[in-house]
Amino acid sequence: MSIKEREDTMINRRDFGKISLSAGLVATMGRPAWAASAADTAVKAAQQYKGRTITIVWEAGLQSLDPTHFSGPKWKELTGMDVKVVEVATAEMFTKIMQDYKSGAGAYDALNVIPAWMPDLAQAGALEALDPYVEKYGYASELQTIAPTYRDNQMKVGGKIYGFPDDGDVFLMYYRRDLFEDPAVQKAFKDKTGKDLAVPKTWADFDVVGAGLTDVLKDKGIYGASFFRQPPYAMYMFEERFRNEGGKFFDPDTMKATINSDIGVKVFTAMRNENRFMPPGVEQFGFVENLATFLQGQSAMTISWPPYGRWAEGYGTDQEALNWVPKTTIAGKVGYALPPGGHPELAAGFALSVSSTSKNKDAAYLFIQWLNSEDVSRQRVQLPYTLRDPFRDSHYSDPGYLALWPNAKDYLAALKQASQTGLLDLSLLQTDKYEEVMRQAISKLWAGDDPKTILDAAAAQWNDITQKIGVDKQKMVYAAWAAESGAYPKT
Amino acid sequence: MTAIAHPDRNFKYWLISPAIFLLLLVGLFPLIFSLVVSFMRVTMLETDTSFAGLANYAQLFHDARLWQSLLHTVLIMVIALPVELLLGLAMAYLFLDRLPGRQLLVSLLVLPTIISPIVAGATWRLLFDNRYGPINQIIGWFAGHPVPALWTVNPGLVYPAIIFCEIWQWTPFMFLILLAALSNVDRSLTEAAEIDGARFWRSFRYVVLPAIFPVMSIAILIRGLDLFRIFDIIWALTAGGPGTMTETISVYTYVQGFRQFETSYTAAIAFLVIALLTVIVTWAIRRMGLAK
Repeated sequence: MSIKEREDTMINRRDFGKISLSAGLVATMGRPAWAASAADTAVKAAQQYKGRTITIVWEAGLQSLDPTHFSGPKWKELTGMDVKVVEVATAEMFTKIMQDYKSGAGAYDALNVIPAWMPDLAQAGALEALDPYVEKYGYASELQTIAPTYRDNQMKVGGKIYGFPDDGDVFLMYYRRDLFEDPAVQKAFKDKTGKDLAVPKTWADFDVVGAGLTDVLKDKGIYGASFFRQPPYAMYMFEERFRNEGGKFFDPDTMKATINSDIGVKVFTAMRNENRFMPPGVEQFGFVENLATFLQGQSAMTISWPPYGRWAEGYGTDQEALNWVPKTTIAGKVGYALPPGGHPELAAGFALSVSSTSKNKDAAYLFIQWLNSEDVSRQRVQLPYTLRDPFRDSHYSDPGYLALWPNAKDYLAALKQASQTGLLDLSLLQTDKYEEVMRQAISKLWAGDDPKTILDAAAAQWNDITQKIGVDKQKMVYAAWAAESGAYPKT
Repeated sequence: MTAIAHPDRNFKYWLISPAIFLLLLVGLFPLIFSLVVSFMRVTMLETDTSFAGLANYAQLFHDARLWQSLLHTVLIMVIALPVELLLGLAMAYLFLDRLPGRQLLVSLLVLPTIISPIVAGATWRLLFDNRYGPINQIIGWFAGHPVPALWTVNPGLVYPAIIFCEIWQWTPFMFLILLAALSNVDRSLTEAAEIDGARFWRSFRYVVLPAIFPVMSIAILIRGLDLFRIFDIIWALTAGGPGTMTETISVYTYVQGFRQFETSYTAAIAFLVIALLTVIVTWAIRRMGLAK
């Protein structure tokens, strides 16, 4: 399919022009008449670089349709600058960024960075500190309107700004409102469990509700819950749940890993036990398998990133780029809630940064300021095909977004709540080494190994990694991370 | 005029020197550079690249995961290689006679070898999928009930799954080479053996096998080396999991180098593998008499 054909089937830039015009009007009404928006400032300043090309690293696939089909062409129209998008698979992004930095090639000007990588990238010197640019181009006040969890946790390393949070990734619970409100299901559930059917707020409740609903609905081909269980996803779910249950990753004094605490073992054991009331083979479920299960109406509850909520309502799934998304059978029947425990994992996300080896730093900075600004980001998070999720206070109350489908209000309200209570991904020096251990631990869990044995081995491996990096060095980074508002739930 | 009448004796060396230089640049230089790196502390994430002496090599001996990955590699090799050899030989014997549609069948049988291993692995992953894969469905038809076998998760099933894929893809390679070797065996020798009363096995053991042995040895060597560096199918099917249960030496090297960014340690692993392979291949070449 040609780009032209694809563009024809998508919401085109003119449509977004209309959306942005109305959104811009609303935004402008809330801004003093004399104050230029951050987007306008960026555009004006960038016009001096007309004719230059900015190269930006972007996640391959749907995400990169944003700069290739929307923001890149629009930036060119406004400033005369070209945007070259280098699409890189998520698993390769860190490597590519580091290779470019280490080689000094300066092939990239702007970057999409997963916030958990920031300490490593900043320490290595691969990222440009953005504070002087923020001041120079007057972006400080608009940065403050990024939702608190992202703003306070995904922007700085060592007190300096290295990236603008640009994607409101967070786990939400999606449930079948129609089933939870069905009197017949409620009665059958009560008869089976002796309890009233309600959306679970704790993991103990979740176990009762999930198992009970499977008992009640299995004959209709519906399971109480399904989750993505492949290790890269389940790792985030463990991180979230472990902390919601009161777990801490390390002893802050000794930096000894404490994932093998009683809480860790309890969470691991419960995670495996829950597979029993989920669809057979759930251990192999990835993002798409779990999505298909939920959208086809085969599970009553699931937890995932925000696109599940939009696609469950059918928003954007008629677009050619989303033709792989299973057709929803549950539109209008979905409810949104925080996952049990009330503190959802932010689970990856993206921040926009400038490469320290860029030869166009100012131009690159202006492009990311423009992308991240109130006006432009509001349009970008409504692109149905790019997976960018709301991350600014204004996104959650945007009239355009609220009107996208009948219960978009509930969806945005749940996302807003999540943006206030979300938990940061663990972010240390060489985070991926710790995560790799967790991914292996989870695959051993599904293979049937003893939870305590797995976690003891994982903790020992974490200690070895810490030892190799340097206990004192890592201790400082962990202390800084643990002091962030989203590191652990507030007691 | 003098130059034409008496060309420089070294002129030929000048002619080949660019090619030699290029070969050294792309072959020898990376090898020497890797050796140097293996004695340093280079990682993608640290600025310290100081001399580490033998520390990386010492670490090899304490790295249980490395030796486990070698064991997994050997395990796959000792099962898959003989099976591929025997199946390939049996198929070659079957196709030795002029069967109807022989050309077409041979072409079809060879198809798996032309598929990229990573694509084959990804395809098998789909085929093995518990929910949408046809394999469980077919087994279910025979069993009379749904079979939720988790081929890439269950420790009892992952090796059979990997070895099955490997055999599926590479037995045709053995078949093709052995078919060529068998086709070249002098028929008069086997016929003479039959006339002298030798049965199939004796004829095979004392007439056919010696005749095809050199070619078979090469096939075994090539497949053995391929199996030693098996990566794609495992990466696509299990990524080394569950845990590190199916991690082979190539997978482990990749993880160390490109996921953990331990550049110097990865170089040390590479040199360990080179040393091991040099010893094994030299032994195999002597044992098989290929050096003669």
